[in-house]
Amino acid sequence: MLQVKNIEKYYGSKNNVTKALDRVSFDVADGEFIAIMGASGSGKTTLLNCISTIDRVSAGDILLDGESIADIPAGRLAKFRRERLGFVFQDFNLLDTLTLEENIGLALALNHEDPKAVTRKVGEMAAKLGIEGILGKFPYQVSGGQKQRAAVARAMVAGQSLLLADEPTGALDSRASKNLLEIMTRMNESAGATVLMVTHDTYSASYAGRVLFLKDGRIFNELLRGDRGRGIFYHEILDVLAAMGGDVSDVI
Amino acid sequence: MTLSKLSLRNARRQARDYLVYFAAMVMAAALLYSFNGLMFSREILTLSKMMAQMPMLIVMVSIAVVCVFGWLASYSTGFILSCRSRELGTYLLIGLENKQVARLFFQENLMVGGCALVLGLLSGNLLFQAMRAVVFALFGQAYHFSFAFSFPAAGLTAVYFVLIYLLALGRSRRRIRKTQIYDLIYFEKKNENAVIGSGRSRKGIFAVSIALGIAGALLMMAGDLSLGMVGAGLLVVFLYGFFLSFASGIPAFFDRHPAGKYKKHRLLVFRMLTAKVATMGVLMATLSMIFTGTLISEGAGLVFRGLFVGRSAEKTCFDLYIGGSKGGIHKEYLDYIEGNIPIDRCRQYTVYESQDTRLIDYVNVKEAYLDYGYGGDPVIGYSDYAALRALAGYEAAEPAQGKYFIHCMSYLEAAFRGYDEELILGGATLSPGGIYTEHFLQRYGEGNGHEFILVVPDEAAKACTVHHHAYAAKTLAPVGEEIYDGLCAIRDEAEVRTGDYDAVYSKAAEEAQAASGTATAVFPLYFLALALTVTAATILTIQQLAESGRYKRQFALLHRLGMDVGEMKRALWHWSAIYYAMPAVPALLVGVPVLLNLARTPEPGVMVGWSSPAAVAGIAAGLFFLIYGVYILLAYTSLIRNVLPEEKDTP
Repeated sequence: MLQVKNIEKYYGSKNNVTKALDRVSFDVADGEFIAIMGASGSGKTTLLNCISTIDRVSAGDILLDGESIADIPAGRLAKFRRERLGFVFQDFNLLDTLTLEENIGLALALNHEDPKAVTRKVGEMAAKLGIEGILGKFPYQVSGGQKQRAAVARAMVAGQSLLLADEPTGALDSRASKNLLEIMTRMNESAGATVLMVTHDTYSASYAGRVLFLKDGRIFNELLRGDRGRGIFYHEILDVLAAMGGDVSDVI
Repeated sequence: MTLSKLSLRNARRQARDYLVYFAAMVMAAALLYSFNGLMFSREILTLSKMMAQMPMLIVMVSIAVVCVFGWLASYSTGFILSCRSRELGTYLLIGLENKQVARLFFQENLMVGGCALVLGLLSGNLLFQAMRAVVFALFGQAYHFSFAFSFPAAGLTAVYFVLIYLLALGRSRRRIRKTQIYDLIYFEKKNENAVIGSGRSRKGIFAVSIALGIAGALLMMAGDLSLGMVGAGLLVVFLYGFFLSFASGIPAFFDRHPAGKYKKHRLLVFRMLTAKVATMGVLMATLSMIFTGTLISEGAGLVFRGLFVGRSAEKTCFDLYIGGSKGGIHKEYLDYIEGNIPIDRCRQYTVYESQDTRLIDYVNVKEAYLDYGYGGDPVIGYSDYAALRALAGYEAAEPAQGKYFIHCMSYLEAAFRGYDEELILGGATLSPGGIYTEHFLQRYGEGNGHEFILVVPDEAAKACTVHHHAYAAKTLAPVGEEIYDGLCAIRDEAEVRTGDYDAVYSKAAEEAQAASGTATAVFPLYFLALALTVTAATILTIQQLAESGRYKRQFALLHRLGMDVGEMKRALWHWSAIYYAMPAVPALLVGVPVLLNLARTPEPGVMVGWSSPAAVAGIAAGLFFLIYGVYILLAYTSLIRNVLPEEKDTP
């Protein structure tokens, strides 16, 4: 589904250039749940921004279903984002003046969906995520976990094919994190959603089927879960992190 | 860093961040100075003896204007205090005492106020020059630019400004001195929690307020004073009820029609609106009341101007006119004129009344006509009429044998067009010969007829009863107020002697009276209207622009979620349009019927053309929206610049 081909990203001016991504290449298959790990400043969020068309690459190419996102005309980028990509952020990014139902429905409204179908689709998605009883509440009236589930619902309700999650458990307690990750796994397995999650939390990464490790803008390692249990995979991730030379406490 | 330096730095930042408020205070100082300038200007006060009333009226209106600007300053400093609560809380947190923080805030606001005053005095001088030019034009005098700074006007403006700021800052100072660190640091959070609330009572209030609004508007348009007052009361209740319950009334509507809110960008606009209005319901209603006051002030100004000009136009067709009694024109007048007024041409003539009131009765049925007690239809002989037309500078009327003309005020023309009856006067049968409608001193029945006069052959006129004798003249120089006063003194003496009251009109004196009336009544009303518009529009703009940071975050997210920048612009435009229309539309609904009724109050025939009721309401609304539109445009462009994400879509 997603092909990242030898991309590079530089910031700064002529005399002070910072290389945020250095020849990064990887593929994401349809229906895959992939995590990208790395310490702060490793280039995780830059990579996610480039994939989500928010930022542009300095070199290389990113293809989504075989279409280079660099070739998408500027006028179509917004449409591309709202139809193909779903976003989940660390700080939820729900609009505080909208109810949860409206926040989720917003993704459909932006897609010019038939207004009569919006309420039904929102209701169905909310039921899958267990938030159907709180749809009428405003974000400040619900817990962080509920907010994040609403954000997941918004990211998937319009049938987006790729869910991009940036530290989705970063602002949640352990119980809410577990709950959210189980929901994301379920959406991945049962609904066939492709998930690309950026995290520096080992526990979150252990839910993925594959983990890419970024260090100084380059892919340092790649770990496949295969048939192993989540517990074993968790420890293997920790081992790679230790080998990367980072402090384990940095990434838990 | 000392507290004074910190105050100075904060003052600079405040002037920059709340530029609209700062600009409004500069405008306040400029307005106050310019009107004070008029009040202290000897050359303006001596234009006419009636101008002596102007200082008192300006002072009275200035007191109201100071209260309005005081409210603006008080509201704005309170609002700035709320927006900066976290910063002020941090000062307390790092060890400053409440009174030190209060002093800090006080000092920086005084600095902002001081700068606004200085800039306002400078720009106010230009505004004063513009107003001086208008006053001179009103009096038909040549204007010459002469820069003169009025220290008394500046001093009084400074006094007003001190009052405005003391009123505003006193409240903020007390608030800071009493407040706790927690309240300041967590103020925004508390505010956010209070934003949205819903309840059955609010929904009920919403429905009732709409019903009261409709009933109030209908009563206002009924045209009856007492019903109108009840209507006005209902509309006030409607305004507060509507705005207090709006934030829950509209969501309740969308609860019943959920699909409606997902059309286009309606969801965003309606939620931005309800979130904003929920915290400023009372304020919105108050702003709506202020806008109503603005419209009525502007409209009342136009009504007064129309009244002065309309009445004056009718009275100033001759340079000099004296309407005497049946006995003739007193000799004292003629002697005085001979000794004091250079006459080009003059005419002594007679106004008669016919045997019956056939035309009075006719026109009484057709029009809202004022009957001044003529015993018969007013009549003038053709030769007198022709001479008077020549004195007034009108084209000669074609004499026609066996015909009669009607000379009437223009508002009666349509009614008389339908009159085709023959007249029998002095044995002669006369058929209709035409209608003339130039100003002909026909108001109040003391000039040439009362609203109309029949022009008939001299023989036919002489067969009628004498109503009064009159004198009209074209002079070689304007009959100024001083000479006019001499004629009035003769009139008063004659009244004591004979019991008859003569009508004495001088074109120059009447025009000066109209100009003085305009300057003393209309200027203060516009002064008040401007102050009200600036205040309300500034508060609305401050409220909107203060949310820029929050909107910027929202629109950045929407951009990420795939919303087009063009669609964002449309959403922001719709939001701005509805936000600014909210207090303005109820003001129009209340203000326009009031103005229409107000403009119908003067005697018929005065409020015509540009002063007609529809024109008064239209021009008042147009003037209001002209100033308001500038604010909306500035706020919208500022919002677009501050809120929309930069377009760097190409990856």
